[in-house]
Amino acid sequence: MLPRSRARLLVSTLARPSLRQHVCALHTSPRRLAEQQPPFSTVNDAEIAHFSRLSALWWDERGEFALLHKMNAHRMRFIREKLLSDRPPDAPSRALAGLDALDVGCGGGILSEATQSLARLGASTLAVDASAENVHIASRHAAADARLADALAFRCASVEELVREPRRFDVVCSMEVVEHVDNPAAFVRACAELVRPGGHLFLSTVARTPLAYLLTIVAAERLLRLVEPGTHTFSKYINPDELVGFFAKPLVPGARPWISRTYAHGLPTRTEAEVRGIVYVPWRGDWVLAPRATTPWSSQVNYLFWVRRPYDS
Amino acid sequence: MLLRWARSRARHTRALARLYSGLGTGSSGYKECDVVIVGGGPAGLAFASALAANKALDGSVKVTLVEGGDLDKVRDWEMPPDAFSNRVVSLTNASQDFLDEIGAWVHLDAERTCPIEDMQVWDGISDARIDFSAAALGLGRGKGSSQMARLTETLNLQRGLLQHLSGQSNITLLDSTKVENIFSDDIPGGGWPVVQLSNGNVLRARLLVGADGINSPVRSYSKIDSYGWDYNTRAIVATLLHPPRIFPAFLPTGPIAFLPLSDTASSLVWSTTPALAAVLTKADPAILAGMINAAFRLPERSVRFLHRRLLEQPSLSPEDLRTEIAFREQAHTIAPHSAYASATINPEDASVGIPPHGAEALPPLVASIQPGTIASFPLRLRHAEEYIGSRTVLIGDAAHIVHPLAGQGLNLGLGDAAALARCVSTALALGGDIGSRTALTPYARERYFENHKVMSAVDKLHKLYASTAPPVVWARSTGLEVLNELDTIKAGIVGAAGGQSSARAGAGLFWDTVASGVETLVGGARVAEAVGSGLQSVAGGILQQLARAAAGPENDRR
Repeated sequence: MLPRSRARLLVSTLARPSLRQHVCALHTSPRRLAEQQPPFSTVNDAEIAHFSRLSALWWDERGEFALLHKMNAHRMRFIREKLLSDRPPDAPSRALAGLDALDVGCGGGILSEATQSLARLGASTLAVDASAENVHIASRHAAADARLADALAFRCASVEELVREPRRFDVVCSMEVVEHVDNPAAFVRACAELVRPGGHLFLSTVARTPLAYLLTIVAAERLLRLVEPGTHTFSKYINPDELVGFFAKPLVPGARPWISRTYAHGLPTRTEAEVRGIVYVPWRGDWVLAPRATTPWSSQVNYLFWVRRPYDS
Repeated sequence: MLLRWARSRARHTRALARLYSGLGTGSSGYKECDVVIVGGGPAGLAFASALAANKALDGSVKVTLVEGGDLDKVRDWEMPPDAFSNRVVSLTNASQDFLDEIGAWVHLDAERTCPIEDMQVWDGISDARIDFSAAALGLGRGKGSSQMARLTETLNLQRGLLQHLSGQSNITLLDSTKVENIFSDDIPGGGWPVVQLSNGNVLRARLLVGADGINSPVRSYSKIDSYGWDYNTRAIVATLLHPPRIFPAFLPTGPIAFLPLSDTASSLVWSTTPALAAVLTKADPAILAGMINAAFRLPERSVRFLHRRLLEQPSLSPEDLRTEIAFREQAHTIAPHSAYASATINPEDASVGIPPHGAEALPPLVASIQPGTIASFPLRLRHAEEYIGSRTVLIGDAAHIVHPLAGQGLNLGLGDAAALARCVSTALALGGDIGSRTALTPYARERYFENHKVMSAVDKLHKLYASTAPPVVWARSTGLEVLNELDTIKAGIVGAAGGQSSARAGAGLFWDTVASGVETLVGGARVAEAVGSGLQSVAGGILQQLARAAAGPENDRR
């Protein structure tokens, strides 16, 4: 029998694409969001198994998901800023009252707590995840909090199932999910379909850059073990310009695209969409949300993406 | 059959969950609270006030404050204008700005506060001193007069905070109520702290704030250890009455602090050995008054002799002490009417006519001590190893006990309250869970090192000035004298500290000043030593002695 560490090494070299493949991926940079026909389920069974295995750890704020917990406040700052840009925050603690929100791939419910934060901030929120374990953990954790009871519901469902239902939302969030699904284009399209006209879509993911490879896979997974090895797959990362490009084309043939024009560096108009980098600063032990006016350098690794559905699309 | 049982059980669980989830009292009898503060001291009250004052929360946060004592006594506290309680605090400008911001400052009785504009740091042994003047150094607040700090009674502060809280609907004050037990709830996915009170209420807290002092029950519940040591020292406090005079605050770097409360009253903090403290607090107040006057005026050798004399004969009468002091004055050839004489002068007469030469360098002669104000308490240092537990957080004395030089502990506590309130409002604005570690981390990050810095500075000051070893006294006196002549450095020390914004409401201007002062003092002593070594070759020997003596008090802590 192999010693444990060696067995692990063996598995990891077998299971993961080699570095050579990654380097190839860097050079060729296939358009990840290019449409793959026909669209099939976006749920990746291996990923679901991975996160189901970790599901018990979601709420250990100093453990496996510590970085996510810390990220949440910054995501919320971005979401809040975007949602409230067109209405004054007169009652800050219930600022989002009256909004319908959906969190796709809620994991242990951190963001849906944030969405739930959206719930705490007054939005009525549905959180879904394809892993039954995650949904179980998330709903159990939320059940202990009386303030969330009315505003928050959990479901084990995939985004395709939701699209088939009539319900649509003012806010759809899917944080750090796109890089874990099969066929991201179909996934983003489904998320977009769930947004009401005039509603908001928030995504967050990792850019497919050498720096991201170095930080999220080499440093975070292998060297520092901040994240369980195997959490990220480099070839599944998505670049900001790919998301912007996706929404610059009509989602339905003949309809108006969500992003009507772009400027230098491929940046969209701020009233339509925004890409905002979020950077982990190790010596602070915290994330920093890049200021609005920064170069695309800030979104070389983690970034947040917001796009608003036009009323007439 | 089994299936039906399972189904009914599931229904039961769901019904239970629904019951738990209803706001207010659940089936378990817990009363749901957002914030439960244990302890109605200044830190706890200030935190409650800061939350209440935050308009952004618009009453969405339900706060309960639990206090074992009777707060009505504080609310109804009254004293004639010329009498003062013996627990006095010097509020730094940062603390004042914080109280002002939350709207509590207006509830303090301004007549019972006294600004410190000038301050002398004074060495009890060598008579070296350094003057800080708020006006000369450009300190102070835009409005009002320039000041380094403001003295007031702790009770005045507490009463003001209570008045500020009385109009707030989302704050519940439960006084004369003791915490009987704290345990974790057994709700699935919960584990929130539950506080069982002596009045029968059981509160389930999203966030439990421990403002409950040195033996904090919240800290024990959170399983947070604290480290520290007891100084083999007790502080005697008292309210001193003297003829009217305006004088600077005399800082407690030496053994005695003499802090002006009004023209005719001052607050005393005298750190001394437990044995002497026991004798002085039990003896005739006139003995204490005589000893204070002598301590500022006689050479250190004689002061020590007087202490020994009193320890040998605790029943010494005031007349005997007066004779003894008069004899020592004669021996030191102190003229009976000079500023340094105390035994032969009636304090009332000393204020008549032109004061003798050198009188401004000394605090006024103590005429008497306000009855019932003499007390003493042990000096300790404690720091919790962490400020955050599982849905619990520590502020004030529960988190740290500092050598009580001029009530710095209270300023640190107010700084904690301000930082925690800021942290909680940020978390709420982002929809965060205010009990989560992630939401509370900014508080700990802001305060832990800040507090540690001040505690460490105060501790080093205590150790530096507790020593009577000649090389240490020489070095610190030289440093002090050199520093006093270098106005630019002095202004630099204070200027650097003054540059920080009040929004940070950190440890406060004054103690930052002292902290950097200590650093500079060490530097100053080094300069003086370098000069000395140029003149005499024995400097090396002194250095060695210095190192040995400095290591001495360090060893005490182990």
